[in-house]
Amino acid sequence: MAGEFAQQKKPIRWHIAVFLAPAVLVYTAVMIIPLFGTLQLSLFNAENQQRFFVGLDNFRKLFGDPRWSASFWNALWNNTWFFIIHMLVQNPIGIGLAALLSSPKLRFSAFYRTAIFIPTILSFVIVGFAWKLILSPLWGVAPNLLDLVGLKSLFTPWLGKEEYALTTLGLISVWQFVGIPMMLIYAALLSIPDEVIEAAEMDGITGMAQFWKIKLPLILPSIGIISILTFVGNFNAFDLIYSAQGALAGPNYSTDILGTFLYRTFFGFQLQTGDPYMGSAIASMMFLIILTGVCIYLFTIQTRLRRYQF
Amino acid sequence: MGSLTIDKVKKSFGRVDVLKGIDLAVNDGEFVVFVGPSGCGKSTLLRIIAGLEDSTSGRVLIDGADVTVTPPANRGIAMVFQTYALYPHLTVRSNMSLGLKQIGTPAAEIDRRVTAASTMLSLEPYLERRPAELSGGQRQRVAIGRAVVREPKLFLFDEPLSNLDAALRVNTRLEIAQLHRRLKATMIYVTHDQVEAMTLADKIVVLNAGRIEQVGAPMDLYNKPANEFVAGFIGSPRMNFIDAAKLGEGQAKTIGVRPEHLTVDTGSGAWKGTVVHAEHLGADTNLYVETEKAGLLTVRIFGVYGAEAGSTLYVTPDPQRTYRFDADGKALA
Repeated sequence: MAGEFAQQKKPIRWHIAVFLAPAVLVYTAVMIIPLFGTLQLSLFNAENQQRFFVGLDNFRKLFGDPRWSASFWNALWNNTWFFIIHMLVQNPIGIGLAALLSSPKLRFSAFYRTAIFIPTILSFVIVGFAWKLILSPLWGVAPNLLDLVGLKSLFTPWLGKEEYALTTLGLISVWQFVGIPMMLIYAALLSIPDEVIEAAEMDGITGMAQFWKIKLPLILPSIGIISILTFVGNFNAFDLIYSAQGALAGPNYSTDILGTFLYRTFFGFQLQTGDPYMGSAIASMMFLIILTGVCIYLFTIQTRLRRYQF
Repeated sequence: MGSLTIDKVKKSFGRVDVLKGIDLAVNDGEFVVFVGPSGCGKSTLLRIIAGLEDSTSGRVLIDGADVTVTPPANRGIAMVFQTYALYPHLTVRSNMSLGLKQIGTPAAEIDRRVTAASTMLSLEPYLERRPAELSGGQRQRVAIGRAVVREPKLFLFDEPLSNLDAALRVNTRLEIAQLHRRLKATMIYVTHDQVEAMTLADKIVVLNAGRIEQVGAPMDLYNKPANEFVAGFIGSPRMNFIDAAKLGEGQAKTIGVRPEHLTVDTGSGAWKGTVVHAEHLGADTNLYVETEKAGLLTVRIFGVYGAEAGSTLYVTPDPQRTYRFDADGKALA
């Protein structure tokens, strides 16, 4: 009797394919095909509107030619610094804000939460332009505000100095996006059961000790997710630099990151003519860098983080 | 080293009065069980004793010292939660020792206490495991162990058995009873299960709607319930309540008689009735009998009794063991 069911052929479950199809088709059309198109394009070059296969020549040029490679390593280092600023400033502040917000004694916490999150939903054009105006030495409010507290001597045209411009832009980006780590950590903190916290209270683990010994270990998985989101976001960044400093990422390329470097190369800017093949090579490198970073995270860090069931 | 006095404690959440003035004295070494239906305020009262909740008014005294505004950790108490509330990222050993480390107890002393507690609760094989690798019963033992190592003046248990399955519940109940005997510590235990209350308690506090209905030893509550609520709450199956008017009783409003104090006979008896349903449990048999005079009655017969639905029986109460209640539900002498 039991064999009868086993022998029956399983019907093909068409509905799975049917339900998956829309997502797969859309994703393929807008993500997978362009990705492979870019990778393919990076292996070609053109002369007299004639496209021909050059193998890895574009990459040889990118790393071998002194001017190309100087630009590339400059952009990569700037990008890394941009990422470091976010990891050291944005994420700790986000965690700190979330810890404050989740404190039951805090009044108006819903207001603070919204207020801190609002810059995230603003357009990067508005953010870039607004901060450019604020920090302008000619008509900005920053010099006057510093004057009010007697610190005018500290003012410098931060966006106009090579040594400060990238850090300044990094901090503007932190200001804009700090709401995201805050929200994710806030959600993770809320998911810790009240009783675990109460048990800690009974054990005498209160205040900062409670945060370090109980809450922080329990939100580590969320911090891991935030780190990788920050990494991917930063290495794909473009918009803030473009809107604040333009495609030349001045002064003197000091704020040039991979995104702006790619944009100039691919589409051309001012006297530089666009080169889609070199642009694709840069885009492929960005893809590889991000892929490597995500893989390192997934295979080394993610596997060691435990998710706790309460 | 562990007496507790609760003095006129009231608690309101907004306009809702959850506790309407509780006075209670618990002696050193007593096992006191708060029992009552859900929403009666028993957990709130426990949390006020623990310091996790502030009372609206009134005082809590431990060993004569007013601790009403003392933070939980400084009250010398330990609490075991219904959901265990273990620290999921720490091993069993760290779970037990974290509180001691926090107050700077020497490592040798921590080690001694953890070893003693884990031996007592047979947790030695699991000391290096994390809570996720333990069963529900083991987790609850770790939670109890975490309370034991603090050597508190007062143990608080908030429905510690509710998340365990029936077989484990009986075992863990036994362990808690043994723990009390061994430590001779004062314990306060909250439950909605009157069987747990009856089996564990030296003293039961029956709460209902934010008030104490009766305080007493389990057998006092069983034999001399102060009112209809306690009579109905203590004892399983529930006491039968019969409208006194139907039986022609003058003074009382309601007559109560426990299922085990009713006898049945096929030939003659006080109230004739029909068996509606019979539950055969082996050790005893519960019959639901619809009587002409007294309405639906539950009868508990010890041992096996062969009665089927539809058969006719005569039910007779034990005249020594009926209870009479007035219109307010108070027991009449």
